[in-house]
Amino acid sequence: MSPETLSGIARKAVKLATKKGADQAQVTALTLVEDLTRFANSQIHQNVATIKEGLSVRVILKKKVGDATIGALDPSSVETAVSNAIKIAKVSPPNELFKSLPEPKKYTPLKRTFDRKTATCDPNLRADNAKRAIQIAHDKAPYVKAVAGSYMTGSAGFAVANSLGVDAKAQVSLAQMAVTVISEKEGSEGHGYYYECARNMKEIDVDKVAEKAADKSVKNVQPIRLEPGEYEALLAPDAVALSLAYISNGFLGTWFQDGTSFVKYNLGKQVFHETFSLKDDGKDMDTLYVSPVDGEGVPKQALALVKKGVVSEKSICYDSYTGGKEGKPSTGHALVPFFEAFGPGPDLVNMVLEPGQASEEEMIKETKRGVYVSRFHYVRTVNQPRMILTGLTRDGTFLIENGEIKGPVLNLRFTDSFLDVYKGIQMIGKDRERQPMASVPPIKVNKLRFTGVTEQ
Amino acid sequence: MSEDLAELALKTVQRLGASYADVRHVSIETENLHVKRGNPEEIRKGAFAGLGVRAIAKGAWGFAGTTVLKRSSAIETAKKAYKVALASARAKKTDVKLSPTAPKKAKYSTPLGKDPFKVTLGEKLDALKAAERTAAAESTELIKTSSSFFRAYRERKLFLSSEGAKIGQTIVWCGGGVSATAIRNGDVQVRSYPASFRGNFNTAGYEFFESLDLAGHARETAREAVQLLSAEKCPPTTTTLLIAGDQLALQVHESCGHPTELDRALGTEADYAGTSFLTTDKLGSFRYGSPKVNLSADATTPGGLGTFGYDDEGVPAKNVPLIKEGLFVNYQSSRETAAMLNLPEGSSGGMRADSPLAMPIVRMTNINLLPGDWKVEELIKDTQDGILMLTNKSWSIDDRRLNFQFGTEAAWLIKNGSKEKMIKQATYTGITHQFWGSCDAVSNDDWHMHGTPTCGKGLPAQVMYVGHGVPTARFRNVRVGIA
Repeated sequence: MSPETLSGIARKAVKLATKKGADQAQVTALTLVEDLTRFANSQIHQNVATIKEGLSVRVILKKKVGDATIGALDPSSVETAVSNAIKIAKVSPPNELFKSLPEPKKYTPLKRTFDRKTATCDPNLRADNAKRAIQIAHDKAPYVKAVAGSYMTGSAGFAVANSLGVDAKAQVSLAQMAVTVISEKEGSEGHGYYYECARNMKEIDVDKVAEKAADKSVKNVQPIRLEPGEYEALLAPDAVALSLAYISNGFLGTWFQDGTSFVKYNLGKQVFHETFSLKDDGKDMDTLYVSPVDGEGVPKQALALVKKGVVSEKSICYDSYTGGKEGKPSTGHALVPFFEAFGPGPDLVNMVLEPGQASEEEMIKETKRGVYVSRFHYVRTVNQPRMILTGLTRDGTFLIENGEIKGPVLNLRFTDSFLDVYKGIQMIGKDRERQPMASVPPIKVNKLRFTGVTEQ
Repeated sequence: MSEDLAELALKTVQRLGASYADVRHVSIETENLHVKRGNPEEIRKGAFAGLGVRAIAKGAWGFAGTTVLKRSSAIETAKKAYKVALASARAKKTDVKLSPTAPKKAKYSTPLGKDPFKVTLGEKLDALKAAERTAAAESTELIKTSSSFFRAYRERKLFLSSEGAKIGQTIVWCGGGVSATAIRNGDVQVRSYPASFRGNFNTAGYEFFESLDLAGHARETAREAVQLLSAEKCPPTTTTLLIAGDQLALQVHESCGHPTELDRALGTEADYAGTSFLTTDKLGSFRYGSPKVNLSADATTPGGLGTFGYDDEGVPAKNVPLIKEGLFVNYQSSRETAAMLNLPEGSSGGMRADSPLAMPIVRMTNINLLPGDWKVEELIKDTQDGILMLTNKSWSIDDRRLNFQFGTEAAWLIKNGSKEKMIKQATYTGITHQFWGSCDAVSNDDWHMHGTPTCGKGLPAQVMYVGHGVPTARFRNVRVGIA
């Protein structure tokens, strides 16, 4: 369904809600196409094609707020959702913290965010790309044992309208490929992984993704045990991006207001190294889910989260509700209602970390004794205000000694404050890689505290 | 109407030549209520319905799903599933084989007292406000955030297969919780009841939510959050560890539930969730834990969040022992993975999809640690020097499910058989089989069902609701105090 059609449905639903007595109403109409071909053990084992449509309605009766969602866009479903939202609002207690839905603001639509061929990719093309990746990986070495991964194509589009005049829409096409290669030599496994995402499937380099994953995998067999302790660490972009996904919680208005954000206790302080500058910008084309507006139709602001290592009150992102609690305007970071996995609130999905000047080779060369981390796995926050994270390395962990990759090591567990870790940045890479929520370069830090080792 | 569309889709895909097909018509209702600092933060109802078609053609799987519930869309979705299966066959090495299951014509519904969707919003919100206000009142100075939650879920699904199965099911679950966050000088301490991350859930009616008595537990919950501000940090040491059910549930989930999933062991989650250290050569011979450790996958446990009549392949709910007196004896499996291993008993009945738009994958049902011989008080009395940890706060485990680290909201130092004092920032770590091998006692008087409604797995990512029946258990020589 086109954004224009979604927009028409959203506007009609707002009119209906107003006619039924809503003081304010906001409607988001959404369509999501997700086609994904998944392979493992060097063959396709799951292959899905799905279309999801839905409507989210927010109705305000004085200070009473009612929300209803429905997974359909036909006129009868729209009527049901609007009626449900009004019914909920009528019996709800007033929310005294609610100020208003956002006022309309002009925005400029983004160009070249949607490619029809990507959005409607034939399953045979996805299958052939999977087959090609499997073959390339197996060609790398006779001891490549199994190839796993996925090739995804599809699109996401939404339109949002409200009774104050907001009328906004956005659409992106999406393509993603991930390859995991498992090698085995004399009973010892080595894993490698690589990932690319884009809004146009032409930008996905299948050969490169398969080659990089296979290369890491064959070099990762027969890892040795490295004793836990503090080591220099070179974090590849995948690892940096996952750490940022957790650090970024500290910039959310919800965390800030709850007192759990590290920013709250470090206002105006340099908590990261001066070379660490991070922004969130929904219009930065280096990020994947670009959009000129957020889930409430508010134009997305480019927000400097960290400026030369310093965080401040200006680092915090808001939607209209959380902003309203502090008498501040939304920064354009409301999630689209259907993507609110953990309840409503603002989120950061377009982070961009300022690159440095080093190549990965230079970063390795400058490492005396350290760990090369391809990926982090299962990261969780142990302490919010100190941003202590724990997690493991995965799919390619190597020991660096005297400026050279010495060889693979068993996956390690880390437990450390990432305020300290990124205060100890020594080098930042010059080349960024696009990950789902962030575009980031590799980073070399002077220490990361490893607290455990896994087994094979 | 739903049956007509499902039958139309099934006939269409069969006519095209699928050697096997099944169709699920699913409608889901949800209700989320959240009261925070005296305000109704979220009052949301959701409704969602769709059709999912799974087909085998040329020996390979295809799946298509839609939320557009029209005849033309049912036909189009069936055709798409068939086309996707043919595409899969372009990169297959072996044909899909399914272990046999008798096609059933049956109905199942969660036994309910009060339908949670029929209880008025006002009544539920009153219960939440009472709990949240009680927690907040404990200390207006130190309790900075107090919240209470209610969540209800109803899934109506019809399963039809080309083998002749026709199964209608209605699954209902609900529950909630209350939490308090105390803050002083940048020290943030959270306590939750009856579990963290929005509470506990059972397949049951509103009577389960009422039985939680959130308001009755809110004051103690908040009081402990405040007490933690003055508590000492968990010391870094190796000690005897007692783990209460609201933490042990997640330990079981991560270190037994996931590694005994046969799809992980066979490598089909290698690209995302990971594989398993419980490789197929270990089945029947690997010592996973001490003789005190008995774990099962039981989809029949009353109230369990993973309790149902039939899985999403039409296999009846089963109770399958996974670990028997410490020995690894079974996997959780599907019809396809059971056939790959020639398991004589076939699928364990654990194929589940989180929506009509998702292809079913091997999922936990209720992974239960069976009760032992001890009373909780006896366990504490019998411990000279140790730590009791309660309520999960953080969790992490490697991609083969060996190296884990958990953090808990609260802990007690145990000295000479009694709880001496509360400590904070408690964490523990270990290697799965060594940890379960060190289990020397399991209680039997505090065993109950814990619901985990947020288990992530699969691509596209799916979120499943699963259960864990667990008591308190004791483990020797565990490393604690890492963070």
